[in-house]
Amino acid sequence: MSDTADGLLTEQAVRFGVHAADRYDAVRQCGELLVAVGAVTEDYVPAMREREDEISTHIGAGVAIPHSTAAGKKYVRRDALAVLVLAEPVDWGEGEQVSLCVAIAALGDRHLDILAELAEVLMDPDRAEQLHLATTAGEVIRLLQPEGKAENV
Amino acid sequence: MTGIPVSDIKKIIVACDAGMGSSVMLAGTLKRQLKNTGVIVEHAQVSAIPADADLILTQQSLAERARAAAPGKPVVTFQIFLGDPAVNKVVKAVKEGGTIDV
Repeated sequence: MSDTADGLLTEQAVRFGVHAADRYDAVRQCGELLVAVGAVTEDYVPAMREREDEISTHIGAGVAIPHSTAAGKKYVRRDALAVLVLAEPVDWGEGEQVSLCVAIAALGDRHLDILAELAEVLMDPDRAEQLHLATTAGEVIRLLQPEGKAENV
Repeated sequence: MTGIPVSDIKKIIVACDAGMGSSVMLAGTLKRQLKNTGVIVEHAQVSAIPADADLILTQQSLAERARAAAPGKPVVTFQIFLGDPAVNKVVKAVKEGGTIDV
């Protein structure tokens, strides 16, 4: 049992060495992973691309957080996150390179703490590097585990 | 540009399109940073900004929609999600007192 304490990010939802042809291919694969873990229906995937077209979900430090438009929320079955670690960085527009995607499916607020943790990790160069270099789902989950909710591992 | 005193700010709303990703992340970060200040931080869809918001933070590209959805409310815009100077200024002002330029 090494999922995050809140159950939003599970080991099955973390993939490494993913080959993406471009930004949209990466977003599509993020969506498919959310479908695979039962978080969203197929219709969520195009809504993620739509959102990406409106405003980039790149947040800095080589990370993007793809998710749907407001209209796509109706395809969410349960709140969940998924992590895609890309085999090689892809161009995310405006000269930005992304090598890690944190895909989001959410109806409510439960993922607020994990995203706040992600922001803190990315603002700390050492922890950001650990996240990019992680090779196991356990490591990724440990890094994103909100403080104060760490499990006894 | 006008300055609003931070003592007037009880509730900050971070607004974005779906209220699912970037705004949630920034709201979470601000919540942690402003934990002991008594200021409430929430996120919302830009089309559904609560009436009791005292200050709205939103991405540059959504500023017009935010102003249209919440006429007369002060709006601070940012461009980057991690460590944007405009957001840092708000945090600093809330913690130390003073005014926020909007």
